[in-house]
Amino acid sequence: MFSLTCSKLTIFTIAGVIIQMIGLSVFVFSFFPVKPALSGFSGLESFRAPSFDLIQNHSAKNLPPDELRSLYRELSGVPPSFDRLILMVIDGLPAELVLGKDGKPPRAELVEAMPYTQSLLASGLAIGFHAKAAPPTVTMPRLKAMVSGAIGGFLDVAFNFNTQALLDDNLLYQFFKVGWKMVMLGDETWLKLFPELFIRSDGVGSFFVKDTVQVDQNVSRHLPDELSRYDWDLLILHYLGLDHVGHIGGRNSILMAPKLKEMDEVVKMIHTSRILNQMNNHGKTLLVVVSDHGMTDNGNHGGSSYEETDSLALFIGLENDVSAYASYSTQNTVYQIDIASTLALLFGVPIPKNNVGVLISEIFKHLADDQKLRALELNSWQLFRLLQAQLPGLSCDEGSEIRKCNGSLTTMFCCLYMNAAFLHNSWMSKDVSRFNHGEEYNTAVGAYSEFLGVASECLSRRVTDKPVNLLAFGVAAMLISCLILLSLFYLICKELRERERISLSNFENSTMHTWHLDEAFTFGVVLMLVISMGSSSMVEEEQYIWHFVTSTLILLFLRKAIQSLKVGRASSLFSLVKGQNRASCFQITSLVLILISGRILRGWHQGGVNWTNLPDISKWLEQAGGEYIKAVQLVTGILVMTLSLISLSALDTNKKLVKVIGFCFLTPGLLVLHRVMKHQSSILGPSSYNDTVLIQMIYMVLGFTALGTVVALPWLSSLLASKTCPYYNFDTTTSDPKLQNTSQLVELTNSLFVIGWAYICYWSLLQLVLQQPINSMPILLLLVQVLLSMRYSFYSGPHHKQWVEVAAVYYMGMAGHYALGNSNSLATIDVAGAYIGITSHSTVLSGVLMFIITYASPMVAILSMVMYISVKSSNYLVLTLSVDSGELKRMLGFPCLIPLCLNSILLTAYTIVLILMRNHLFVWSVFSPKYLYACATTVCVYTGVSVVAATVSYAYWVVVSRRTQSPPPSSPPPSSMIKR
Amino acid sequence: MKHKRQGRPAGLEAPLALVSAAEAFIVHLICAVGLAVSLWVAHNLLFNSLISHPSQTLFLIWVIECPVVILLYSHYRQNRQQSSYLRAVGRGMLTLLAGALVSAFAAIALGAPVGAKYLSSTINWSMMMSLFAVVPAASVFGSSWTDWQRLFACTKPVGTVDYMICLPAHGAIIGSWFGAWPMPLDWERPWQEWPICVSFGAIAGYLIGMVASFGFVLVRGILQHTKSD
Ligand SMILES: [Zn+2]
Ligand SMILES: [Zn+2]
Repeated sequence: MFSLTCSKLTIFTIAGVIIQMIGLSVFVFSFFPVKPALSGFSGLESFRAPSFDLIQNHSAKNLPPDELRSLYRELSGVPPSFDRLILMVIDGLPAELVLGKDGKPPRAELVEAMPYTQSLLASGLAIGFHAKAAPPTVTMPRLKAMVSGAIGGFLDVAFNFNTQALLDDNLLYQFFKVGWKMVMLGDETWLKLFPELFIRSDGVGSFFVKDTVQVDQNVSRHLPDELSRYDWDLLILHYLGLDHVGHIGGRNSILMAPKLKEMDEVVKMIHTSRILNQMNNHGKTLLVVVSDHGMTDNGNHGGSSYEETDSLALFIGLENDVSAYASYSTQNTVYQIDIASTLALLFGVPIPKNNVGVLISEIFKHLADDQKLRALELNSWQLFRLLQAQLPGLSCDEGSEIRKCNGSLTTMFCCLYMNAAFLHNSWMSKDVSRFNHGEEYNTAVGAYSEFLGVASECLSRRVTDKPVNLLAFGVAAMLISCLILLSLFYLICKELRERERISLSNFENSTMHTWHLDEAFTFGVVLMLVISMGSSSMVEEEQYIWHFVTSTLILLFLRKAIQSLKVGRASSLFSLVKGQNRASCFQITSLVLILISGRILRGWHQGGVNWTNLPDISKWLEQAGGEYIKAVQLVTGILVMTLSLISLSALDTNKKLVKVIGFCFLTPGLLVLHRVMKHQSSILGPSSYNDTVLIQMIYMVLGFTALGTVVALPWLSSLLASKTCPYYNFDTTTSDPKLQNTSQLVELTNSLFVIGWAYICYWSLLQLVLQQPINSMPILLLLVQVLLSMRYSFYSGPHHKQWVEVAAVYYMGMAGHYALGNSNSLATIDVAGAYIGITSHSTVLSGVLMFIITYASPMVAILSMVMYISVKSSNYLVLTLSVDSGELKRMLGFPCLIPLCLNSILLTAYTIVLILMRNHLFVWSVFSPKYLYACATTVCVYTGVSVVAATVSYAYWVVVSRRTQSPPPSSPPPSSMIKR
Repeated sequence: MKHKRQGRPAGLEAPLALVSAAEAFIVHLICAVGLAVSLWVAHNLLFNSLISHPSQTLFLIWVIECPVVILLYSHYRQNRQQSSYLRAVGRGMLTLLAGALVSAFAAIALGAPVGAKYLSSTINWSMMMSLFAVVPAASVFGSSWTDWQRLFACTKPVGTVDYMICLPAHGAIIGSWFGAWPMPLDWERPWQEWPICVSFGAIAGYLIGMVASFGFVLVRGILQHTKSD
């Protein structure tokens, strides 16, 4: 028989985890392509039909900008309509606030907030569009999409905090090649994307999310000066304030209307100074006001709801007749990627190579018919080239008639493209009036639009082939690691059963193999989760499932606890709470309290996607006002500390040492309380210097005391255990020969108890600092739940299956994850919290803080395993005779394997679901964000489990090695150690 | 593993053995008819259904079904010497309230919405659940803890009456648990509201439980018959 030693278990587990990591990273990088399809930059070939590509002309490459510009002008056939461009980006402005929704104007106060812009729209001097942005709606990918016309890879989100230069073809590079001078004022993301392109720039960090005033003043202060200069051709203004207003107070923040007014003033200043004044000899200027993304009602963004993708594209300064154009019509919906090709054609430069957008035809109304067709043709050529790159074997033979298009993708694109080209040619061959809009002209335009629409949709859906081999390898690796972990779990279970059969007396044998309802259900939960992952609405509303199954499991535990109540047949319901039922009664009360706190947690945030507007406790508190939230926060802080100290005093040992530890705990606790009291609700201005220093101090104190406890305590554990000895009275009746081992075990147990306690409580304190004020109460409730489940496990004794309890704690952690307001949409990540207590911009630090905030609850569940191991040590006492390394295996086995197993099953299942759903409509909006969360959960489980394993092994090693060095002091007779 | 049958004291076996399969069938039939009548009354006389007016319909169900269940099951009360028929009825009525409290707690713990809007539905639903799951047992066993524990915590029914109580009760509970699953889906159907689909689940589970219980009683009867031959 294969026997599982401690080292084998460790090696196999680590091997499983490493295989899983490799598989996961291979899968992620092959499923979410980072690179777009074509490298290089569009040049002169853009003005030739794709079939002539064989004749390469390299001479154009090194032309000086002026010659290149004239060459473009000569070749393009669409004369540049403008000479200079002002691109004004208002970060996070939903188009709805300017253009209204469903044909209705926006709310009256918003119209009043932007009088000048609205008057421009009403008089037809400006055209506004709802420019639908692709998810993820985060700043950097959206800026890239606007200037390159390509929908970036999904993993761009991951790099949003680590912006890198945009190396692919884009509008700004095209402008640069024709010799444009560019100036950038605003978000420094632009400087990171284009490090050497600007002649002047003033970058503003999006670092202090709480600053809504200074960021915009830093942009506007240069504006009068820049507007009076004529040395630039492109001026980029990126205003971050509105996004920050949203992050702080949501769409309906009181700061929103003043901020819109400020933006309106900027538009007015630009328009009155320059664009109205077209008669100067510096050429015509176009003002384009865009937003990179919208925001939800709460002011977050990242997901794919209408509110987040609804960004603005406003063209001011077009001279065509747009008076008939209804500003609030529902027709004016385009895509954000269309901006790139539109601007490229307006300014007479080649369309960027990877552009998938289609020109906005309303903008080109002022052109003659042949020029308009030429513009469509240029865009078609560019898209056709991209198609050729993505669909190998796309080559068309000349058609001489109109065909009906169907069949495979390649033949359909060919046919549509050739139809359009044919119609265009036949229109050209006839000599008709250039402004006639004849029937043939209309059919040609229609054919081009059809081709462009179909090609753009296909390209943006990325029906490109994924590297099947790599995907298969990734999935296979994950499956293998999942199998390894599961078989380890099975082996441990089997061994435990053998041992129990040997050590327990025979009459209990019969109950050993019963398949209890709670065990079956624990398995069933995994099954239910896997099945529910296939449905997009279940993924969106995952919080319901976790809460439902967790509370069901706890109800099943309750049923089990009632089973073990022993009462004489005749006695009535009311004489239960006596005698040997004490343990069961403690269990029942713990479970009921867990249920109640779980329900409050569930009600704290509505969560999900579809029912976020339903009332919940957090909304109710926010309506009640900031001072109530603060009061709740204070009360929570005090309660967390009280609870921590009470649970520490459950350890009935050397009072002095416990007092010292309690004092160590008080210091950071009081600091946190101090911070909560001093901290203003932060609508006004960035966080102050003092606050940052205080928070850094809290980080330091928390870190050092926690570390000190972990490192020093095992060495001092003899002090902890000096007055006491074994654990359970009833077990020690026969344990005289192993007294030494048991006293060692008690030392280990005690120190693990205190270390586990320190982990949980320090983690809660850290969360009190980092989380939004509204989340302070849920943190307390999570702590309560964890402590109560430890209490439950303590009384459940050796007869309860350990792995069920560990799984229940893990499920509770996941349910709590959603109770803290997280969801499977990227919009709920608390970006503002990631900068608390950081003075300089650091991607790594903010990433770590963001991770700590988001995974507060699963992490506390896994960290509680240290305490769990301590609490369950009575099991080892019953089952083993000596403290050997098999002991360590039995201690760590379930608490470490179960989270790894559960997570690997869910991760593998979800990977397969993602592959099956790769053509689903919601693959980028629902399934992919969920997959990123699944990956982050995996990281969380790895971190937590390795911390637990390292801590327990370290404490074990210290206790054992200390004993072998010095002879054991004589132990006093046993007495109960933990009183509850 | 086979459950170890904890033999009852012989004195109690006698009255329970009298319940035949036919009798069990009649009891279940009357309960089902009561349910059907209450749904019919709600639908035809008051022009509302479970979907349009959940609260009123649930109220009707438990008000009409309540006397049927209590009166029927009190016939099979234990300890006939000590407790009269009227006492059993009274016990049933009292337990209706206690059981409603328990089921309301369980439902809310599992995520049922709290709030004034849902108050009456929750009350009526938990009354119905209490009637399906707890009241028959109270009428029969009173406050005998071992019987309660045997039926509900361990699910080890022994006699015919045990089956008649235990299976429909578990059916109703499991049915309502499954009935809650469609609630978070975004189908935007009116029946996804609390407690409509849960009630449907409970009623369906209750009916299935009664059929199953009759089946068990029948099979047991046949087995015992062959054994005694
Ligand atoms: Zn942004
Ligand atoms: Zn933002």
